[in-house]
Amino acid sequence: MVTLSRRIGANLHKFMALPAVILFGVFFVYPLLRGIGLSLTDWNGISAPRFIGLRNFVDFFRDDRALNDVKNTVLFALGSAPLLNIFGLLYALLLDRNFRGKSLARTIVYLPAIISPLIMGYIWYFILQPERGFLHKVLESLNVSFLGDNWLASGNTALAVLVLVNVWQYVGMTMVIYLAGLQSIPVEMFEASKIDGAGYFVTLRYVTLPLLAPAIKINVVTNIIGSLSVFEVIMALTEGGPGYSTESLSIYIMRMCYGNFTGYSTAVAIILFFIILLPVVTYLRLAKSREVEI
Amino acid sequence: MKNPAGTFARSLIIVLITLTSITPFYVLLLIALNSPSRRLADRLFFLPEFYFRNFADAWRLSSMGTAIMNSIIITGGALAIVVLVASCAGYAIARFPTRFHRMVFNTFLFCMMIPPIINTVPLYTLMRSIGGINTRWAMILVSAANVLPFSVFLYSSFIRSFSREIEEAALVDGCTRFSAFWMVTFPLLKPVTSAVVIITGLGIWNNYAQAVFFLQRESVRTIPLAVSMFFQQYGARWNLMAAASAIGMAPAVLVFLLFQKYFIKGLAAGAVKG
Repeated sequence: MVTLSRRIGANLHKFMALPAVILFGVFFVYPLLRGIGLSLTDWNGISAPRFIGLRNFVDFFRDDRALNDVKNTVLFALGSAPLLNIFGLLYALLLDRNFRGKSLARTIVYLPAIISPLIMGYIWYFILQPERGFLHKVLESLNVSFLGDNWLASGNTALAVLVLVNVWQYVGMTMVIYLAGLQSIPVEMFEASKIDGAGYFVTLRYVTLPLLAPAIKINVVTNIIGSLSVFEVIMALTEGGPGYSTESLSIYIMRMCYGNFTGYSTAVAIILFFIILLPVVTYLRLAKSREVEI
Repeated sequence: MKNPAGTFARSLIIVLITLTSITPFYVLLLIALNSPSRRLADRLFFLPEFYFRNFADAWRLSSMGTAIMNSIIITGGALAIVVLVASCAGYAIARFPTRFHRMVFNTFLFCMMIPPIINTVPLYTLMRSIGGINTRWAMILVSAANVLPFSVFLYSSFIRSFSREIEEAALVDGCTRFSAFWMVTFPLLKPVTSAVVIITGLGIWNNYAQAVFFLQRESVRTIPLAVSMFFQQYGARWNLMAAASAIGMAPAVLVFLLFQKYFIKGLAAGAVKG
């Protein structure tokens, strides 16, 4: 008995990954695979699912609302991901230097990123709502209320507002990662570039940015994934409206599931998965080939 | 930048950025602390009235107390599981590179690219068949599983970066590898553990897209769900709604302000390893 328990003890380390594997297998990998199976059925969530091959995927490309949601999702990401990166980097470059109140400024800029995007969306709703919104009232008192009217009432401006709110909320998150990247660059690199007579922008282009490559990679990838799966901020501000003009694919997935198109909603999820995978993998390939050049 | 004009411009920009970030919070507090009868035309509108009745009413009418407790239980439970399970797995992957462990690692790496919304619907059917809908334990397990890839990745790359000599000294002293991990390695993992707790904890705390599927009954609702419920019921009464929002975000803001240093450090550690 003693030897048996000792042998178990001596070999226990071989099984240390098992709890993680089981937990992840049951609550992530299994649903993922089951989703692929369900996407090939006409399941409505209640009666037995029936195999229908790829019909859901064919239907998707004939579904105007779905295609419109693809457009919204991609437009949102095209606005959100680049702006987050550009402003995150600018903020980091500004707040990296030493000045009084540096940590206070960083704290304030980062603060919105820790709040639930849903609650943050409601706050912007108070500000931007036509008629009663805070911005409307302020503009009204200045007699320029036409400037603030109906930002959320038309599809195009509503999508732009959603992008801006998202960028406003998460710019601090992107900034913090760039700040960490900046701080990991040895000071000697900047000193050497200064001795060589390089100005601020030359140093930025040839020293800072190349050495920020890892931070840029993390930020680009997380921002692509985050903005293509956007959900909360839209639910809080427009609920996908007016009409379906700001509905994103992840909201569509939820609504199709609740609307008893469970099989179809899993097919939409798989399509969304590829919409996310394609730019991420392409970007990672590009980043890798550039790393080799450097 | 030596010239005073440049310094001034820079300071001005920094002031503008911080104002941009803080103003919506001020507007929220302004609405939450004003009585419903307050009009913009009133004098000193931009100073709140400190009408605390809104907070009392919002607290009474919403189930925010229950929601805060639920958020604490779910986030705390998930984090406890993640730290235990992910550190073990990260250790195994970093120290014993068998084929199985390499496969596990690659699976985690790949799944880092998959946002939870992708498998929410099939997960919902799984939860229904195991009786996990409207239970905190199931939400704890789901939340933990969602953040495992990132956490395992962080732990394993950190463990790889320091030498195994200390563990080996413990082996000489008669420890098994398993107990050497808990007695020697695990305490050294504090920086990663705090990064994991902060980064993944934030995501679990704020989770709405999945919680809205799995936690429908009022008794198990988390903060974002309670706020959205309140919005649907009392959305027209802005002062109440604003107070409820302020209550809902207070715990996160409080924890953030108290542990600020760790937040920035933890994120930085996560970023450098990522």
